[in-house]
Amino acid sequence: MEKKGRRSFLVFSINWAIAFIGGVLSLAAGIPLIGFAISPAFKKGESKWVDLGLADRLKNSRFKKVDYTFTAKDGWVKATKKRSVYVTDAGNGEWRVFSRICSHLGCLVRWDESKESFLCPCHGAIFDKTGAVIAGPPPEPLQKLETKVEAGILYVKES
Amino acid sequence: MRYAGIKQFLNERLPLEALDTHLRKPLPKHINLLFSLGSLAMFLLLLQAATGAFLAFYYSPSPEHAHNAVTYISEEVPFGAFVRGLHHWGASAMVIIVVLHLLRVVLYSSYKAPRELTWIFGVLLLLIVLGFGFTGYLLPWDEKAYWATVVGVEIASTAPGLGDFVAKVMRGGSEIGAVTLSRFYALHTIWLPWLAFGLVGVHLFFVRYYGSSGTPKNTPEEMKTGKPFYPHQVFEDVVGMLILFVILATVAIFVPVPLEDVADPTNADYDPRPEWYFLFLFQLLKYFQGPFEIIGTFVIPTVGMLLLLFLPFLDKSERAVLWKRPIALTVTSVCVVGIVVLTILGGTSKKLETTDTAVQETSQPTEQIQTETVEEGEAVFDFQLTEEELEGAKAVEDASQ
Repeated sequence: MEKKGRRSFLVFSINWAIAFIGGVLSLAAGIPLIGFAISPAFKKGESKWVDLGLADRLKNSRFKKVDYTFTAKDGWVKATKKRSVYVTDAGNGEWRVFSRICSHLGCLVRWDESKESFLCPCHGAIFDKTGAVIAGPPPEPLQKLETKVEAGILYVKES
Repeated sequence: MRYAGIKQFLNERLPLEALDTHLRKPLPKHINLLFSLGSLAMFLLLLQAATGAFLAFYYSPSPEHAHNAVTYISEEVPFGAFVRGLHHWGASAMVIIVVLHLLRVVLYSSYKAPRELTWIFGVLLLLIVLGFGFTGYLLPWDEKAYWATVVGVEIASTAPGLGDFVAKVMRGGSEIGAVTLSRFYALHTIWLPWLAFGLVGVHLFFVRYYGSSGTPKNTPEEMKTGKPFYPHQVFEDVVGMLILFVILATVAIFVPVPLEDVADPTNADYDPRPEWYFLFLFQLLKYFQGPFEIIGTFVIPTVGMLLLLFLPFLDKSERAVLWKRPIALTVTSVCVVGIVVLTILGGTSKKLETTDTAVQETSQPTEQIQTETVEEGEAVFDFQLTEEELEGAKAVEDASQ
């Protein structure tokens, strides 16, 4: 009986030792591997001011669609990123620059002058000229980008 | 060594006779062609693995090269268009066959005890198949690839709590680019195939261990009085595979696989639409607005999948064919009709006719302010060729011809 008890204790101990070693190995290999895979999620994007050109040239009570490029690091590639925004000014120095990315699921909106609205081709979202949602699924308005004018040049903040 | 000698050699070392006996085990008496759908799904998985492995010889998972590589495969590599066609249309066939297989299991309530685990691993395989579809169509790096992935990842980002984190992990950053493409390629060609073959192995083990469920018409005595699995059922399965391959090959020859223009993140004139098997979800998202957005993007897909996964534990009725189970019949019919109707509505939904009427400007930067600096010793490669370099390369190519 005593021998059987000792034996089952030995088996119990071996089982726990195997589980312990297995756990240590899993953690030792798993933590760096998982960290390796998910690390981009913790990387903070750098914001930068991008020069759109002379403010006088962009002044317009109607929306102007401005395509621009800037250089940013995409993983191991120094990539030229393309962006597109809608720009208008209220005439009092107040610039409105809207991202064209629909706040629903990321499709690009289009400005319809006759309806004075931004229309999304994906799920039917409509935004008014202030970027507010008029119809469709987006839970938020269009993103208004931060701007500044320095030495007559309009800058938009890329983040 | 003669055949008999080889046979004896192997018999002495491997349990071949036991395997032979196992393969010749009789199936249930009442069984029909629908019971070949599982074999057809496995055949398609092998075909996708084979065509994918060969496509990888020429493919390059980087934004600079992916689209050109796919064009090269389609237009210049002998049999390239055919191999790509088999892979592309095979993916659609896979979704159809896997769903039909699932419906066959529901029809005959084959998921009931003791086959609950077989069902659970089957549903996990359905998720893997959809994962293959989602990660695969980014790879050509055309407009459809890019925008469908933008929307797909944004859907993931709406999940409460971890959504934004999950989206960043999927993209490998804050936006879709080189890192996204290489991770989708790794998922599509390494992670998902390993998972798929592992899960198929377990699924098949359960299928063989519990035996075929047959139709509910079988009495307990009839469960082992049908034709043997080998060679009878295997022959039917192989004929099914041949027919399926002929259909796929015909489609691959006569219907070119579309390849749109290279992905352009500023092209707002493009109307994004997903592959046909995600159209129902695309359409569903239109009906949940503002704060209810999450119902379409997260709640319905997640709850639906969980209900499907645990179906054997929710449906406690006696085993019978679907039309003798009113609740199961109603739920299945509503789901099938709902998905078909949403798919048709999504596929036929009008594209936005409005073209952009804003005044087009291209920025004329007086200077570009870049806060980013490359740390010393850090390798940053710019693979984009200038126009002069491209012209130079073309001149060299022309001279060599």
